[in-house]
Amino acid sequence: MNRVVVTGLGIVSSLALDREGTWSAMLAGKDGLGPLTRLHLPLEPAQIAGQVALDPARHQTLCERMALRALEEALDGLQLEGDPERIGVFQGAGTSGLPVAEAYLEERLAGRRGQAVEPAYQSPSTVTDALALRLGAMGPRGTIMNACSSSLLAIGQAWERLAAGDLDLALAGGAESLCRTTYGGFSCLKAVDPQKCRPFSRDRAGLNLGEGAVQLVLEPLGRAQARGAVIYAEVLGYGASMDAHHPTAPHPEGEGAARALAMVLRVGRCDATEVDLVSAHGTATPANDGAECLAIRRALGSAADEVSVTSTKSQFGHTLGAAGAFGAAAAILALRDQVVSPTLRLEEADPLCDLDCTPGHAKERSLRAALVNAFAFGGNNTSLLLRRWVGA
Amino acid sequence: MTHPADLVITGLGLVLPCGDGIDAARASLASGVPCFADLPETLGLGRGAACGAFSPAGIIPPMQLRRLDRPSRFAWVAAHQAFQDAGLDPKAMGDRIAVAVGTLTGGSEASEAFMRPYLQRGPEGASPLVFPNCVANAASGHLALAFGLKGPSATFVDRENAAFAALEQATRWLRAGLVEVALVLGTDGLFPLLLDVCRGARMLARHGDPEVGSGRGFLPGEGAQAFLLETRSHAEARGARPRATLRALAARSSAGTSEPERSTAIAAAASALGPVALDRHIGGGNGLARLDAMEEGLAIGHPAWPTASHPKVLWGEFGGSGAQLLAAALLNPAERVLITAPASSGAQYAALLEGVRLDS
Repeated sequence: MNRVVVTGLGIVSSLALDREGTWSAMLAGKDGLGPLTRLHLPLEPAQIAGQVALDPARHQTLCERMALRALEEALDGLQLEGDPERIGVFQGAGTSGLPVAEAYLEERLAGRRGQAVEPAYQSPSTVTDALALRLGAMGPRGTIMNACSSSLLAIGQAWERLAAGDLDLALAGGAESLCRTTYGGFSCLKAVDPQKCRPFSRDRAGLNLGEGAVQLVLEPLGRAQARGAVIYAEVLGYGASMDAHHPTAPHPEGEGAARALAMVLRVGRCDATEVDLVSAHGTATPANDGAECLAIRRALGSAADEVSVTSTKSQFGHTLGAAGAFGAAAAILALRDQVVSPTLRLEEADPLCDLDCTPGHAKERSLRAALVNAFAFGGNNTSLLLRRWVGA
Repeated sequence: MTHPADLVITGLGLVLPCGDGIDAARASLASGVPCFADLPETLGLGRGAACGAFSPAGIIPPMQLRRLDRPSRFAWVAAHQAFQDAGLDPKAMGDRIAVAVGTLTGGSEASEAFMRPYLQRGPEGASPLVFPNCVANAASGHLALAFGLKGPSATFVDRENAAFAALEQATRWLRAGLVEVALVLGTDGLFPLLLDVCRGARMLARHGDPEVGSGRGFLPGEGAQAFLLETRSHAEARGARPRATLRALAARSSAGTSEPERSTAIAAAASALGPVALDRHIGGGNGLARLDAMEEGLAIGHPAWPTASHPKVLWGEFGGSGAQLLAAALLNPAERVLITAPASSGAQYAALLEGVRLDS
């Protein structure tokens, strides 16, 4: 098995349109949540979202535009060499072309013809194809739609193929834009907080929705070292499981999530005591956060008392298909800089969330390994394991 | 390239426009009669291959049936058949069984059903029962609940060959030893907006049935095809008789969006399987010029290959996102069957089955 490292990271978020701008704002305790203006939904009780300061372009969905921008930052001028058939692209998809479908249906409902757009333009794989074309990648592509765990699983799949020696380089990540279906959907499930969300809080009342894109360049360690690449972190593996419990709600005791965490520790050959950080799913819904903390305890045992936990949802809202990649980005930068980004608006923790959830302020500490969680509708659980890069 | 030679297919479940089950599919393939007809208005205006005889009675409990979208219903029944065919009790497998799904339309029917009243009436038109099915992985979640599946799961949405992306992922989980069995499944359902969009984009055959090489366009279909994939050692240990061995599977992508570039990619995928003598070739031509051109390019480049048969011109496009091809490959005995699965995206797949036999 090859060791696999992250050598590029691009972020487009509601805090900033680049990686370091986003990260410094996170550490400063800023959030990217604000008034919802992307969508005109005056009857919705919640009017808060994490919006990116970009708009769709002509013949380019917002997801595609954000993903391509994040890709350019992740590449950081890298000129790709070698066999293009050994470059793969793996993306997690969420809404993707859904805003286009909504606009089309709206036209049709109004009795108008609607713009004739190919189904491909609405297809979730459109972003994957656009990224692959920009890279000149001729290897395998995968577009995963596992709801809120999509992009974390995509990163795992890139790792899987690089570790097996089937690829020389892979791009993985996700992009998500706000749309009426998801906004109205989570709202009708009573899962949206009309105020800014409060992960792990006793009075948490739901999530806010957000948008953005994260792209990671991954390579085998040997290749990265040979070209003198900047190495952000090492990927040790991923774990995945299904709850088989409920179509939307997590297992109340985090049973399935704990199995995903146990799997990744086993795959990554990592002892629970080496884990110092959990970049949590942390949606701020009443059902998720307590179950997730129980899952962390089940998987890490007494070592859970020593970990720092953080939720990027407090900065960006829930970016759905891109959420796992956002969590991974926060963990990668935390490992690089040895500082944990805060969970905002956490003033009184839920007794079920009895871990150090990094309330309010960034925390400098020694970080060796980090787990990233992403859980989804359908009882899908994914966990990624990362290790600080300190040299071979 | 994956070399999954130690992986075997031990179970097969089919929901197709020609009927449910292996016998109906085999008869349809033998007759060569397309399954297209005028669709009921609830599925869309125009012609397509609907699963009109689909019957979940006795398999999906009525209470659950009401909550499922069409792809999930088809998937449930196909999976049920596949487990029965394989003689495997999935509940006994727990987290040692994975699910990999390919779909183009999964979640879309529900999205339309959710959006219509929401766009017209705002929040009071939004249905909390419909929204959970708006995600493409709704089917895998329902399968997990129905059959107690607790292993890894991934749903791929890579257009016409998404089921092959699912197959490839399943081989990795099996070869890594994370699971002993994987349920691989393609599923799709017709819905009005799909036909409306495809018609608006002038992709549908307007006169007659689709025909490979005609440039006439395709017609949509629906259904689900399920395959139980397991390690040979696991199959042997439990006394299962494989339907086929998955000898090789390859994926390549085109560097551009032109037809020659796509053709080059699928040719590269087929070449990666190695030089082999073939009994049969199942292709993914559907009547749409961009897919047919790739298949025609393969035929010209490999004159020794048997003439390909293209089941999508019988059963429709999106009716399993490529899994129909794998199903067709398993319906007649053969020593070696090549399957080429082109897509209008850049990702192209080829697979090689060996030792295809009729009964498990």
